[in-house]
Amino acid sequence: MPRRLPWARTLGILFIVLWSLVPLYWSLNTSLQTDAQISERPANYVPPGPTLRNYHALLTGPGEIPETIRRSSLNIVVECTAATLITVVLATLAAYAFARMRFRGRQLLFYAVLATMAFPAYTTLIPLYRIMSVFGLVNTYTGIVLVYVSGFLPLATWILHSYMTSLPLAIEEAGQVDGAGRMQILWRIVLPLAWPGIVSTAIITFLFAWAQFLFPLVLSSDLSTQPLTVAIAALQGRHVVPFGLLNAAGVLALAVPAVIAVSLNRFIVNGLLSGSVK
Amino acid sequence: MVGTRSGRRHDVSPAGTGAPGTPRRPGRRFDLLPYALVTPLALFIVALALFPAGVTIVQSFFRVDELNPPTTFNGLENFRHLFADGSVRSSLVNTGLYVLIGVALSTVLGIVMAVTLQRPFRGRSALIAVLILPWALPGVVEGIVWTGIWDSNTGLLNSVLTSAHLIPEYQVFLGQHRFLTIFAIELVQVWQMTPLSTLLILASLQNIPGELYEAAVLDGCSPWAALRRITLPLARPGIAIAMVQAVIATINVFDQPYVLNGSADTGASLTMQTYFISFQNLDFGEGYALSLLITVATLILSLGVVKLVYRQVEF
Repeated sequence: MPRRLPWARTLGILFIVLWSLVPLYWSLNTSLQTDAQISERPANYVPPGPTLRNYHALLTGPGEIPETIRRSSLNIVVECTAATLITVVLATLAAYAFARMRFRGRQLLFYAVLATMAFPAYTTLIPLYRIMSVFGLVNTYTGIVLVYVSGFLPLATWILHSYMTSLPLAIEEAGQVDGAGRMQILWRIVLPLAWPGIVSTAIITFLFAWAQFLFPLVLSSDLSTQPLTVAIAALQGRHVVPFGLLNAAGVLALAVPAVIAVSLNRFIVNGLLSGSVK
Repeated sequence: MVGTRSGRRHDVSPAGTGAPGTPRRPGRRFDLLPYALVTPLALFIVALALFPAGVTIVQSFFRVDELNPPTTFNGLENFRHLFADGSVRSSLVNTGLYVLIGVALSTVLGIVMAVTLQRPFRGRSALIAVLILPWALPGVVEGIVWTGIWDSNTGLLNSVLTSAHLIPEYQVFLGQHRFLTIFAIELVQVWQMTPLSTLLILASLQNIPGELYEAAVLDGCSPWAALRRITLPLARPGIAIAMVQAVIATINVFDQPYVLNGSADTGASLTMQTYFISFQNLDFGEGYALSLLITVATLILSLGVVKLVYRQVEF
């Protein structure tokens, strides 16, 4: 490692902290002010009298904007949870087969999974919309969740495959000698060993699903399925929406992924690195 | 062949050799279990990834208008229309700028941050938690967050610059000058991409043996020379992967310009044009053609970066 340059590293640390946190702080700061305070010049670098009225208005107030935010928050939670559960279950089964069994077509399917990771997601945007509209799945939870699962399965399978192939074989072989079936071995031996990989995969899938915008913008035509991300962008497009309210909605949309990222960052780092470096 | 030979034994070893002493059932029955395990994945991949990708490729060469069927082959007509379209050409330039600025900035910042984190220190894992925060957040909401910085009436940047007397009065940063607009928008995407770049580069740095640096110090090598002669060359695999993910993200940029600058020509990207052409003009054929071009450009650029930057590194 480079010779000690304490001031350089201190500068680097300071830069990382400011770079990551200043924009988030600014949004939080805005959300805690009244609209009159927000428009003061120079701006208030700390809220002069921190107020939760924007949050209160969004979470409990009447009116179109709060109702939109509340409904779309429900939608995003339903869609992300369903997509994550299905993705992780299907990816675990497939990764186990790829890692521990030999079967005809294994190579071909594995390369197909890798190939889908190579092209950009938006390549399939228009066809997916048309497929969903043929089956009447536009503007349904089912349609959105199907599209999310198809998008996230390849990476999830890849991460879990890397993880499972790195597990020692000896324990599974011992299970085999004891007469355990293969599904029993998966359930009793592989899953308990692979759980950090499974948690990583679930977190990364959930965060990806939470961040989706263009797919639900196309696939959800109204509030019955629109996730929070789409609803917030629609609010932002209308100039009448007050800045404080908009930022409070933004902070709500950031809170879930931010808490996950900060508290479970170790799993994210491991998952991302096993997913992209090999 | 392999399928039938495996029978019903649990084929745990990847090489298919099985463990000694494994009880084998003699049957030659077809082994259904692996197929049952991968079928859901295969269905999703084929029906909702490979088939749609094929549709995009094929239908790029067709006139596809849902409101005015039938769908007919029209050769390169869609592509000709795209190149004749002023908005598409302007978005092509914008996207080129997004890619250049985004890949360059995220790589440089990624290297700086990775070098900062290279050596263990107290609080490093907390710093990594702070570092990955922008990566984990939705691009759309990040657009809203950064609106608060760039805004012409209430923005942080205007307030700071006027207080410091660097500008006489509040300025409009977005939507006036193309380069400034694109830089401001791309910075938001760089904010989102850089954590992953940093982690990828950091993973490469962790493989560099410490003795290399010790030897360099003994030879009187300055920290700057060590960075240039040891760290950067040996980090090339990580830097290449970081640049590839930046290429893919920037060439497909949508959320940030859509939220920060709307459909205005000063910032519209090619992916935004795909969306407008397909879902506002309902011209799916042209939308397919543009998606195909973006996909091909992504693959070519990614391969180019790998060829230029990637080097096998062995210790």
